[in-house]
Amino acid sequence: MGDRFVTADFDLFLPLDPDNLITAWACCETVGLELWLGDEPLDRPRDRWLAERIVERRIMTLITGPDDLRVDLTLVMKGFTFETVWAERRVFKIEGIDVPTARLLHIVKSKEAAGRDKDRLFLATHREGLERLLKRTESE
Amino acid sequence: MRSTLEDGLRALRNATELAKSIHPTVDEEYLEWILEIEARPENQSGSDKTWVWHAQQVFLSVFKSVRGPFKP
Repeated sequence: MGDRFVTADFDLFLPLDPDNLITAWACCETVGLELWLGDEPLDRPRDRWLAERIVERRIMTLITGPDDLRVDLTLVMKGFTFETVWAERRVFKIEGIDVPTARLLHIVKSKEAAGRDKDRLFLATHREGLERLLKRTESE
Repeated sequence: MRSTLEDGLRALRNATELAKSIHPTVDEEYLEWILEIEARPENQSGSDKTWVWHAQQVFLSVFKSVRGPFKP
């Protein structure tokens, strides 16, 4: 166990597939979550026409729910296609549920490519954390 | 000493300025560390990461009750 990075939200990276996006929206609605485009509720009907426009423009859908849950349904991971990330995914288990997860390598490279302030802070902090973790392991 | 709203805002401004000045490079050493971590048994497909989920929930629940300018 090493350093842990806590995030206030979760990113779900989806393929550029309108039908898949409709399915994702429906899943969220089924369990009572709210769907947003920016500050506005996602339009209705949440059909293929709308999903195609969202995919064309690579717009993120924000999902909110109880206990400050915040999930980004994102269609973009800077520097990578969905297919590349999916092909090298790791599938971890959380409370018995399979959770496909992007490689750490892909996440770091994507943050480097994005280069936003918060990404640079993550990279710097994460690098220090990795170094501490590895040095600690060596000394054990 | 009690923190004021102005203290919090000043800290946020300082953090924002600091972020602009940081330009970390993902160099060979960094990439080697990542590959080393990824290669560990606990980071292979099938590994149970439930503890991460629980730790995240505990962390957020603690900070949810924090009030004032330093609330994340």
